[in-house]
Amino acid sequence: MATDRCKDFLGRLDSWIAGERPAEAKAHFRDCASCQAVVEDLNAIQIEARSWRQLESEAPERVWTALRAQLEQEGLIRAEQPEREAAPVASSLADWLSAVFARIPRPALAGAYLSILVALGFALSGPVNQPSNEAKWLEGTRVVSSPISAQLDNFEQNTSLANRDRNPAITASLHQNLAIVDNYISLCEKSVQEEPENEVARDYLYSAYKQKADLLAQIGERGENVQ
Amino acid sequence: MSTGYLVLTRSKLKRQLKKQLKTAGALAVPGLLLCSAVSAGPIRHEEHFKVAAHPIITIHNPEGLITVKAWTKAEVMVISMPASNAVEVDSEQMGNRVDVTTRALSDSVSPSDMKADFQINVPEDAELQIHNDAGSVTVSNVTGDMNVETVAAGVDLEDTSGYLTVKTVGGSFQCLRCAGRIEVSSITGSFKLIDLKSTRVWAQTSSGNILFNGQFLPNGTYSLKNYSGIIEVRFSPADSFDMSATSLKGKVNNEAKLTPSTHEHHFMPRWGNALFGTFNQGRAKVELTSFDGTINILKRD
Amino acid sequence: MPEAEAIRLAQQGNAPAFERLYRLHNRRVYSLCLRMVSNTAEAEDLTQEAFLQLFRKIATFRGESAFSTWLHRLAVNVVLMRLRKKSGTEASLDEMTEPDEESGGPRRDFGGPDLRLSGSIDRVNLQRAVEQLPPGYKSVFVLHDVQGYEHNEIAKIMECSIGNSKSQLHKARMRLRELLHEALRDKAREDRKAASEGSGGED
Repeated sequence: MATDRCKDFLGRLDSWIAGERPAEAKAHFRDCASCQAVVEDLNAIQIEARSWRQLESEAPERVWTALRAQLEQEGLIRAEQPEREAAPVASSLADWLSAVFARIPRPALAGAYLSILVALGFALSGPVNQPSNEAKWLEGTRVVSSPISAQLDNFEQNTSLANRDRNPAITASLHQNLAIVDNYISLCEKSVQEEPENEVARDYLYSAYKQKADLLAQIGERGENVQ
Repeated sequence: MSTGYLVLTRSKLKRQLKKQLKTAGALAVPGLLLCSAVSAGPIRHEEHFKVAAHPIITIHNPEGLITVKAWTKAEVMVISMPASNAVEVDSEQMGNRVDVTTRALSDSVSPSDMKADFQINVPEDAELQIHNDAGSVTVSNVTGDMNVETVAAGVDLEDTSGYLTVKTVGGSFQCLRCAGRIEVSSITGSFKLIDLKSTRVWAQTSSGNILFNGQFLPNGTYSLKNYSGIIEVRFSPADSFDMSATSLKGKVNNEAKLTPSTHEHHFMPRWGNALFGTFNQGRAKVELTSFDGTINILKRD
Repeated sequence: MPEAEAIRLAQQGNAPAFERLYRLHNRRVYSLCLRMVSNTAEAEDLTQEAFLQLFRKIATFRGESAFSTWLHRLAVNVVLMRLRKKSGTEASLDEMTEPDEESGGPRRDFGGPDLRLSGSIDRVNLQRAVEQLPPGYKSVFVLHDVQGYEHNEIAKIMECSIGNSKSQLHKARMRLRELLHEALRDKAREDRKAASEGSGGED
């Protein structure tokens, strides 16, 4: 019978330690040396464990150094840039684009995609209410999109070479889709050249670049997802 | 248990082994193991995980058929069928989260072996995160949020709800009676959105077709976009929507009698073929955009 | 920079914001990792991994829970995954979620040993005992008794129920008590042996 009461008491021990003192438990505790011993032991453990809080220390600085390097490599950290005066439309588009790409897991190469596409976002979304100036828009778009296109092509080459061919059918599908997106990019670029102020065409061109960067990131990750 | 299949329930296996060693049934254990060794058929693993409300289930699989269904138990059941002994399926539970991953056991596994099929039962309010490159993903009656990413696998959702994000490269997408919020994107995949109960739909594909056949719910926002291919929406006389349909280089065919739009934020584009207007009271907002594809706005039969 | 502002800026990739969040939270995370693995190099590695996962996902943080709760959940997951991989002991994690089959009481005799722990516990032997706990017990013990989290917070971090958290803590403490008593008995036995050898007494 004493054992049953001990079991009962010990079964509610966490409440006792938390300060709850039902009458029946108090009565048993008063009379049972064994349960007293258990409570005393657990209190001693808790006191010692709490004292460890004072010993908490910061992680060595090398942890932050290594972490920061990793974050930069993954493109999660943007290098600090001087504040630019951009139109609200452009800055919100770039911000949104950054947020979208921050969520996509990327290989090392794709760290540059973010900055490329942020720049593209600024360039292609310009202020909506400015008086039209076709030559200006065309030149602006060409200045931004040509090096972007070249850079994406360069990444494409490097990514394909680096890719470990786990599943040729999937890799072939990715490359096939990449070719389709490249085709759309050239169609959209042509459209933007013909109608530089066409916001819909610019929006499609921007979406096409984003799709290409996405696909390249997926292709690049193929080799890193070996388990 | 059918011949040629080995069913393991991880959480019960240890207890089972202890009991069997003590009784005359001890021979059943080596019998089971022998069964798996000599069997020429696929190996079937079954595992059960007890979970609390709103569990998270993640599945990472290179290729295979994944079927997820809801049930009323507070439990996740994972039945996995790897294509060969060269891969294993690792199911781990961490609190209220179950992670299922297909792994190669060596670097030289062939693509045809790197496959596993799954049948998974989850509580209705489970949150799902599924990565499956090829094969198919079918989910029904799950109401938690969902994120599905595939390359070539088709995705089929039925009676689901929550925040649904689906991304494929070439895989098709079909959504039947889905509620919640739907965001789907693809490059060459086509979409079928049937009898949706969702008020937020965003669908974008490059060369795929998009079919929307269902009611536009009041206060809903529906944005369907592609580069080429066909965007087709079917409306009924009882629908009420504010429509904008633009195809930069392609056609817009319309059977809806739209009242020209008087909303301030609409503007007539200077490029492409476009129409704007209101059908009935204009309670839902519908935006259809194509680069050089065809947009069809048709009456539902 | 207040934490909320740092979170907002970090979601946009702002480097000082990342650092601010790291400085605010690395002490607790590192301590948690260190208590769980008792190895500074591994604790550093786990701390880095926990923050890396946090910063990768920070754009998805919508403020449904406290940021620190979310971070500690990530950290505990990272640690438990590592422990699991190292030891291959999955039983302990299953114990977090399977219903109790044994009673809540201690497994040993209720009479207990004559030795009392108070006065005998020090940091070293308690740390050794904590190291021997299964990962699930260890997590709850470290979070509650060492780091001072309440059960409702632990429930969010460990994604379990409050009842589960209390039950695991109780089991952890009882197990620690057993381990410490075993260590005391072993030490007492060694002391007696050393004493009898020293005096040249026969066995």
